[in-house]
Amino acid sequence: MISFLILMSIVICFSAILALALNFQWGLGGMVNFGLTGFYALGAYAAALLMLKGGANTFVATVGAMAIVAAACGLVAFVTLRVSEEDYFAIVTLGVGEMLRLMALNEDWLTKGALGLTGVPRPFGDAIAPQYYQYFLLALAVALLLATLWFLDRLARSPFGRLVRAVREDDVVAATLGKNVLWVRVRVFAIGGGIIGLAGSLHGFYYQYIDPTQFTNIVIAYAFMAVIAGGRGAHRGAIFGAAAVMLLLEGSRFAKDVIPALDSDQLAAIRLIIIGVGLIALLIYRPQGFFREYRLRANFK
Amino acid sequence: MLQTAFNGMVTGVIMTLPALAVTLLFGVLKFPNFAVGAMMTVAAYLAFALNAQLGWPLAPATAVAAGAMGVLCIGIDQVTFKPLRERGAITLMVASLGLGFILENLARFAYGNSARSFDLELARPFRLVGVRMNQEQMITIAVSAAAMLAMWVLLTRMPMGRAMRAVADNPSLAQVRGIETPRVIRWTWFIAGALLAVGGVLIGMDRALEPPMGSNYLISVFAAAILGGLGSPLGAFAGALVIGVVSELSTLVIAPNYRIGVPLVAIAVILVFRPQGLFGQPYIRK
Repeated sequence: MISFLILMSIVICFSAILALALNFQWGLGGMVNFGLTGFYALGAYAAALLMLKGGANTFVATVGAMAIVAAACGLVAFVTLRVSEEDYFAIVTLGVGEMLRLMALNEDWLTKGALGLTGVPRPFGDAIAPQYYQYFLLALAVALLLATLWFLDRLARSPFGRLVRAVREDDVVAATLGKNVLWVRVRVFAIGGGIIGLAGSLHGFYYQYIDPTQFTNIVIAYAFMAVIAGGRGAHRGAIFGAAAVMLLLEGSRFAKDVIPALDSDQLAAIRLIIIGVGLIALLIYRPQGFFREYRLRANFK
Repeated sequence: MLQTAFNGMVTGVIMTLPALAVTLLFGVLKFPNFAVGAMMTVAAYLAFALNAQLGWPLAPATAVAAGAMGVLCIGIDQVTFKPLRERGAITLMVASLGLGFILENLARFAYGNSARSFDLELARPFRLVGVRMNQEQMITIAVSAAAMLAMWVLLTRMPMGRAMRAVADNPSLAQVRGIETPRVIRWTWFIAGALLAVGGVLIGMDRALEPPMGSNYLISVFAAAILGGLGSPLGAFAGALVIGVVSELSTLVIAPNYRIGVPLVAIAVILVFRPQGLFGQPYIRK
């Protein structure tokens, strides 16, 4: 049971990092990323392949994966946002995400296709005894989550964060004031991409095995749910949301013990139906979520 | 080559109806609806239930499914999109994403992940100037052509079609001129639902019925609608044909699995060189 709780906490940590990334791109930057699953898969595969084929160590592979996903996101944002508004951007991210997923499935020479990549190395995997490894991984995941949170908090409160919010609220005003709106957006999307890459690498470290079936709609569903429940732009909210959603998802495993008639496909279907209903209900009844975005306040004493 | 082009044309013809639905919905409601793929899936399974499980012929099954889907879409709009109408495109898009999850997984819950097919009598394919055509392809072309003609009559010759175009063009001006926007929105949903239902059945006939069948076409359908200029019905028709033929011909050069790359590249190229699409009006930002 303790082991289950620890493993679950690790899952919550990297889900929370992913939710923070989406929260940064969408909540703070106003650019919704419907290709999240594909970028997440790109991060996981990039890190695993850098280690398995490139012989990189875990640290270099993680940084490499972050750079690759950041570059991919930046490129998508640059090509699309140059000419169009939010509608097309959403469609393009959806398409790119789908394309990345198909590449993972079809480029057998690189990704081993549906078989997936096995034996993904872990940080200090040889140095730490297997029975203690989960504690180490949990500590690492928590540390990375806190680091991400600290970084994003700093960023949101910096002049750059102010500029990002200004662009989100009214890009025309920001452009009129001489700000390069496109460049701001590309940077925001790329930074978010880097964080997605980090979450993807952690995913590989945790499972030690990645295949295309791990990257389905459920990833994007829970990330959106986490961000909406937490409140767009609220970092702590996104973490809280991710934890709540993952507890719900993992907890629903036990539903099978209660209702034995359901097969696993039906159970998976019910989860996504619940998330879909929850998404729409939250958008209608509590669009601001349960946490507040950071706001600069004058502090008179 | 000719055979591939013909197959591609049929693929394009299949996409004309969903692309038209996407473009109508976008025109009137002003956001890209990501649930259209799942809507096609649900409608196709409705037709499947009537056709294969109750033993109806496919034609009446499709007609009933189309009507039911139209009504269902009006209901869905009342429950999900209507309360969010004033909240901006991104909120509506996210809601449509959630709706897509619900609909696709309702189909998965009821029928599982395995592929199914309609109960349709097999017929021998025939040849015409060296091109092999089968019965399903002929039905597809005939049904799509009839639906497109009906849509053309509706949009250009009937008061409701004119009202839809007016709302798409300028909602507030349309309202000032006494057009009841809520009524137009209901009709748009009904028509889009029916078009998606027919499109879903055609896809199920062409390939097989499985839960992701509709979402697999999502990118291509959006590419077709964008290529033609979002909001332009004639453009959606032309865009679908172009995307279908080009994706099918592309398999001569690239791996068939990457057919989805073609619409994606098409979107990128259109966005860079002609953002308003082939038939759309240049978009003026206010």
